[in-house]
Amino acid sequence: MTHFIALVLFSLLVSVAFAALSSEHHTTQERVKYGAKVLGYFVGVGFLIAWALYFLPI
Amino acid sequence: MYSEELSEQIAAPRPVPVARTIAATVATFIVPGLGHVLLGKMIRGAIIGGVIILMFALGFAMEGHLYKPDPNEWLTWFFSFLDAGMGLPYLILVLADWGVQITPDQAAKVTFEYGNTFLCVAGALNMLAAMDAYDIGIGRKA
Repeated sequence: MTHFIALVLFSLLVSVAFAALSSEHHTTQERVKYGAKVLGYFVGVGFLIAWALYFLPI
Repeated sequence: MYSEELSEQIAAPRPVPVARTIAATVATFIVPGLGHVLLGKMIRGAIIGGVIILMFALGFAMEGHLYKPDPNEWLTWFFSFLDAGMGLPYLILVLADWGVQITPDQAAKVTFEYGNTFLCVAGALNMLAAMDAYDIGIGRKA
């Protein structure tokens, strides 16, 4: 398993749970949209942090 | 205006008896998602339960381990609290000492910390699921 697969798996599972538990999204369509948005944020921010860490001398 | 008010009343969530609310909240800590199923939210219960159980299983598959509170390491109390969110499965595993001890080979695995994170987040999500079941029970949420 690569770091990326672990990141995507984590993001996918948490975004599905967040979408199902959300109190602000009532219809299935709203929940799917919200879940996709959360998944995108997780993966996108993960990429940004990974690139930021790549340039740091650690 | 009248029809809008009426539709809001129809759409407003109804509280269930207190005993059923408590049973649903407690049931979430026995089997993730069971609380929602008891409240008639079958699909939501199946999704939430499936995700949390899968996350918990993946945590072990990635060689993660469960935390137990250690008086000398305060961070273990925080991670134990998150793990304990799984409820009965956590209690059984800790009492049976399954998945708690760490071997040097296990700690050296690339996925070790991912596994720990998956286990902690599964517990945290289960606590959210219990609160969600409670909110549905008292009629705060549909």
